[in-house]
Amino acid sequence: MDEKEITEKVRMCVAQALGMDADEVVPDAMLFDDLGAESLDLLDIVFRLEKAFGIQIPRGGIQSNVLGSEDVKEEDLVKDGVLTPLGIARLLKEMPEINPDRMPEGFRAEDIPTLFTVQTFINLTQKCLAEKEKKGA
Amino acid sequence: MGIGIDITEVKRIEEISLRHKEFLTRVYTPREIEFCTKKRNKYQHLAARFAAKESVLKALGTGWSGRIGWTDVEVVNDRWGRPEINTYGRVKEIVQERRIKKILVSLSHCRDYAVACAQVITERG
Repeated sequence: MDEKEITEKVRMCVAQALGMDADEVVPDAMLFDDLGAESLDLLDIVFRLEKAFGIQIPRGGIQSNVLGSEDVKEEDLVKDGVLTPLGIARLLKEMPEINPDRMPEGFRAEDIPTLFTVQTFINLTQKCLAEKEKKGA
Repeated sequence: MGIGIDITEVKRIEEISLRHKEFLTRVYTPREIEFCTKKRNKYQHLAARFAAKESVLKALGTGWSGRIGWTDVEVVNDRWGRPEINTYGRVKEIVQERRIKKILVSLSHCRDYAVACAQVITERG
């Protein structure tokens, strides 16, 4: 499956979960601010993606790549709920699609989902598909 | 100390439960599923527990980050029917690390909405 096909399918899943027209679900649209999603919608999107692509999205979902890693201690990334400079750097590395201007000083880990865009789910799906292919190889 | 609040639409819980069979087992513990599905208004109870899980994570200030799973927060009822919170996995670790003494939660629901408010009490108060 090529990138364009993945993108279209992800947009369709997001649109169906949110009851919107797929035309409105552009890759850089922000899930909460632009598309009006709620936390339950994120779960709906995850389940739809898992079914549509035959993938398993890990628990902790998107943020687990950033904060759930074994190579760095969580307390070095988040202190008192606030992302450290190292945490911000890691977030931007793992999620290059997010806008750093939306992370003011004192940005809290619990607010990471507010940064999610449609592209976040496209990237996550691509990653899960690559892992699935690797396992099957 | 920390507080968190959440509101959940009962209809959305019903829709997502019916559409995705895995929703119940991914989000709720076997004990929660058993409790809620026996009730006539089961979606109200499931919605209240969903709101409770969200409110606890807000009160802890972690959100659904890192290695936290939905079933790491469980709502049970004591012998008087009052809701209590059990924690597992990463949330249990956080509770121990921060020396949290108790997590209090209050739930309410009607036909359309369920709300939950959680309060985290540490050893310092």
